[in-house]
Amino acid sequence: MNRIKRFFGQGNIGYLFVLPAAIYMLLLVGYPIISNFILSFQDVTVMTLNKPHKPFIGIRNYRTLLGDGVLLPSLVNTFVFTVCCIALQFIIGFALALFLGRDFSIARPIRGLLMIPWMIPMTVTALMFKFMFSSNVGILNQFLQACGLIGQPIEWLLQPRLAMLSLIVANTWIGIPFNMILISTGLTTIPPELLEAASIDGANRRQSFFHITLPMLKSVIESVLILGFIYTFKVFDLVFVMTNGGPVNSTHLLSTYSYKLSFTLFKYSQGAATANILFLILFVVSIAYLKFVYDDKETD
Amino acid sequence: MPERKASDRIRNLSLCVLALLAFALLMFPLYWMVVTSLKTEIEIFKVPPTLVPQVLNTDSYFAQLKHGDFNMFQSFKNSFAISSCVMLICLVLAIPASYGIARFRFKGKRLFILSFLVTQMLPVSVLLTPMFIIFKNARLLNTQLSAILADATIGIPFSVLILIGYFASIPKELEDASRIDGCNRFSAFLLIFLPIASPGVIVCTVFSFLYGWGDLAYGMTFLQDQAMRPITAGIFNFMGQYGTKWSYLTAFAVVTIIPVIAIFVFMQKYIISGLTSGAVKG
Repeated sequence: MNRIKRFFGQGNIGYLFVLPAAIYMLLLVGYPIISNFILSFQDVTVMTLNKPHKPFIGIRNYRTLLGDGVLLPSLVNTFVFTVCCIALQFIIGFALALFLGRDFSIARPIRGLLMIPWMIPMTVTALMFKFMFSSNVGILNQFLQACGLIGQPIEWLLQPRLAMLSLIVANTWIGIPFNMILISTGLTTIPPELLEAASIDGANRRQSFFHITLPMLKSVIESVLILGFIYTFKVFDLVFVMTNGGPVNSTHLLSTYSYKLSFTLFKYSQGAATANILFLILFVVSIAYLKFVYDDKETD
Repeated sequence: MPERKASDRIRNLSLCVLALLAFALLMFPLYWMVVTSLKTEIEIFKVPPTLVPQVLNTDSYFAQLKHGDFNMFQSFKNSFAISSCVMLICLVLAIPASYGIARFRFKGKRLFILSFLVTQMLPVSVLLTPMFIIFKNARLLNTQLSAILADATIGIPFSVLILIGYFASIPKELEDASRIDGCNRFSAFLLIFLPIASPGVIVCTVFSFLYGWGDLAYGMTFLQDQAMRPITAGIFNFMGQYGTKWSYLTAFAVVTIIPVIAIFVFMQKYIISGLTSGAVKG
């Protein structure tokens, strides 16, 4: 007891503050990650879930998944979805940040209000877009038909390519505010004298954008893109509610396919293996991101 | 000079018009959802669609109160209870943790920070299956506690990381002065640190509540009993049941975002500060 007292007395008292949160996270995050890893090498289905002994089958789950014809397309989908969303939301978010960074009376309130899409639950966003993209009552088809651009209503969510496109549009809508606000914040760190000096030296808008604004925003842009990757790569709710991977498994992401394996087909181990692949990719990217932020701080 | 002013006014006006157009375009989905929830089912199917409901129909909101096997107000209450508990857990654990990390020296501090950073980026999917099995074994499935415990794992790392910045920015002299005035560590924390860090605490309160409110995966997976599920799971369930009864569905969605909009209206500055400081280094 005295030794414990002495340990915390000698400047180690910091542990006492951190420990409750650390223990909580160890039990509810650390332990599940490890058990997910082990689970992915076992054969746990609804049949074996309650048995004390779970058969160990090595990498067979991963092999089964590679050959099942859904995992690999889901992996490709996840990348396509992520890259398209990031590109779109970055370009639109950047444009809005530049536009709303100009000095006019309603710029600030509008920028604030545009945060709303980022805050509302993804389930609601998914429902909203499912409604707008629906073939018979969807406003999109009604609009396109009224303009005479299409004759017959398009089945947006029932054709693989179009369904993926719809998901990308919906997710981009969520991601725009995030990109906009971070880039806006970055823009405020550029000293206005720099842009003034450039314009006195005869630089036009385009030149000062490419030679001053972009280079000054380099680290913000990198952060926004990598964080965008991390947040988009793990999206679950939106796809689950809008298409649930359909039609015929064509729009599954790793997250939704993992869910289907575990909680529709009750192949817990295969679901865990799929989640593990998702986790490993994200883990590598996260570490790369942290290293990059840390290195940046060192050079500051 | 007057000419200059006139041209400035024109410039301002045209930028405002442009901004309003962009705003209307981006916010259209939300507008459309609200408007649809106030239309009759017949009007929803009308071609060309009406931009404003011709007959105001509030039945979609009250039909579920009077009859119906599923009560959206019950699931609203569930979500409220779950999110409030999530918020409490996050604050109770994250405030001391961040204070400890920011104000004390101890071994392995960097490791703590790093693990909080990594957990913030974790996908929900990797925790779902193992947590399901763990909660099943602990007989916590089908209790709201399971969803609460799981949801808090999103808010804790976020809150810790936000608050470290606030606690670390408080000058050492202030702490020393409070010591001289007779504060001990604990009272210094309560009387000096907590009030100064209160904007950060508000950011964490808002975000941990919103994380709980927005969660679908945990609530839907760990709670099977419809009467206990959060509102997001309720909507999902409702979509399966009522398919294309869009007036009901959109009304349900509008009810779900009411607290979010309320939080936005009153807490806007905290939300923006949370988003920017949570994502990019100061």
